[in-house]
Amino acid sequence: MVHETLAATNAIVVLDVALPSVFWGWIITMNMWAKSIGTGIIFLTFFLLKKYPEQTGFIRFPSVVISIVFIHLFLFFTVIDLHQIFRFWHIFFYPHLTSAITIGAWMATGFVGILLAMAYAIYMKKDEAMYDKYLGWATLLAIPVTLYTAGLMAEATARELWQMPTESAQMILAALLAGSATMILLGGNKFSDAIKKDLALILGFSAAAAFTLYMSEYIFGGMKAEEVAATLAFVKGGEYTAMFWIGQVMAFLAPMALVCLSLKNKSYYLLKIAAVSALVGLWVSKHVWLVIPQLLNMS
Amino acid sequence: MQLGFLVDLHLCMGCKGCEIACKVENEVPLSTWRLRVKYVDVGTFPETKRTFTPLRCNHCANAPCERICPVSALHYLENGIVNIDKERCIGCAGCVMACPYGAIYIDPQTQTADKCTYCAHRIASSMMPSCVVACPVEANIFGDLDDPTSNISKYIQQHQGDVQVRKPEKGTDPHHFYVGGGNVQLNPLASFRGEGHNLFNNLTHIHLGGHH
Repeated sequence: MVHETLAATNAIVVLDVALPSVFWGWIITMNMWAKSIGTGIIFLTFFLLKKYPEQTGFIRFPSVVISIVFIHLFLFFTVIDLHQIFRFWHIFFYPHLTSAITIGAWMATGFVGILLAMAYAIYMKKDEAMYDKYLGWATLLAIPVTLYTAGLMAEATARELWQMPTESAQMILAALLAGSATMILLGGNKFSDAIKKDLALILGFSAAAAFTLYMSEYIFGGMKAEEVAATLAFVKGGEYTAMFWIGQVMAFLAPMALVCLSLKNKSYYLLKIAAVSALVGLWVSKHVWLVIPQLLNMS
Repeated sequence: MQLGFLVDLHLCMGCKGCEIACKVENEVPLSTWRLRVKYVDVGTFPETKRTFTPLRCNHCANAPCERICPVSALHYLENGIVNIDKERCIGCAGCVMACPYGAIYIDPQTQTADKCTYCAHRIASSMMPSCVVACPVEANIFGDLDDPTSNISKYIQQHQGDVQVRKPEKGTDPHHFYVGGGNVQLNPLASFRGEGHNLFNNLTHIHLGGHH
């Protein structure tokens, strides 16, 4: 734990309650990770259908299915993390609108509705125009669905590490990273070189930007607040150091390098490895950032 | 009316009577606490002293727990108390993550959030909180902060310059004050905290019901 005590005072807690354990753990990590894929694939579908409408029509159905699956995974993990699972409906009947949890639940519900409408349009009606119309709304709604977790983390006043400006940027970047990685794996060799290049660039740039944010906080975060310094100690030689760097390498550094190599060698195989690495690493890096502020004793 | 608490740390002798009274009054389950007294040893032998700090919910005017609660289970009463409706709580633990004072826990029996309510049920019957009644040295001073003639208001006036709140930088505007507190008592990062110095030494971490 923290060693901030002065030698002159030599203050030691000699009797108190036990140290706190992690409260929001792997289930919430799964929540954020699945949501990144579920919203990210919609961002990428919108982008590709706008830029390459002739070549990417085949992604309409699989992308909405992937989004539905991962958004439902996100909702599943959200609900099972509740200690009173069967009271989930209270969010809709006793809503408290200052809470990011409430806003997120409502937005996600609306998002699921639009996704189902998209699936109906493309699978039952075979109506691409209707699908594209819904896709615009889904893309708009995917933004607050992605961002609400950042709002929730910002409202967690006790956890100084989580600040809205960086967390909101990280959530959007995570969605772009996960969305482009999933699209790379989804497209196989059906995409043209131009599309592959675009996907590679989105993956590479979102990885670079997210890594820059993490490093900015890693290096400078502790200079502004004692609690942040104490929190970051867990990844600066503390018990989560190895996991933190595994996450950074797999989510950001390896994908950046592999994207560069794949563009140079025109290797789609390397791009797929970058995509898998990014998806796995994203889970790890999100998990570390979620857990470490919870290790500090608040009192 | 704005009810508040003040603890004179000069008077507190660490008897833990308030802890026990709170446990009994509110039927607080094992391994959880609404109120607890933290012991911190300061100095190097032979120049040492022990400090005692009762810790409970601060009933903030700008309470992060109330703001983050998705179903208004945490809500304000007219007297300023931040109360909790256990029947409405969904157990999302947002309040646990939001409280900068670590004052909220998940009740292992009801699987809902719980915390000190300043004994709102006793106050509704014109009684003092149980911890106030139990304190043998009257270190706990409770009353209406809006009334300048109340004991707590007078105490604050008499001890100006020595009245502190925990973590003022959080902007929560706590209604819980300390007289005679120092950094080592009120700042959790100012004291070394190792494993094993707990109420029950075999319990190294409180398992609050989370998943990790």
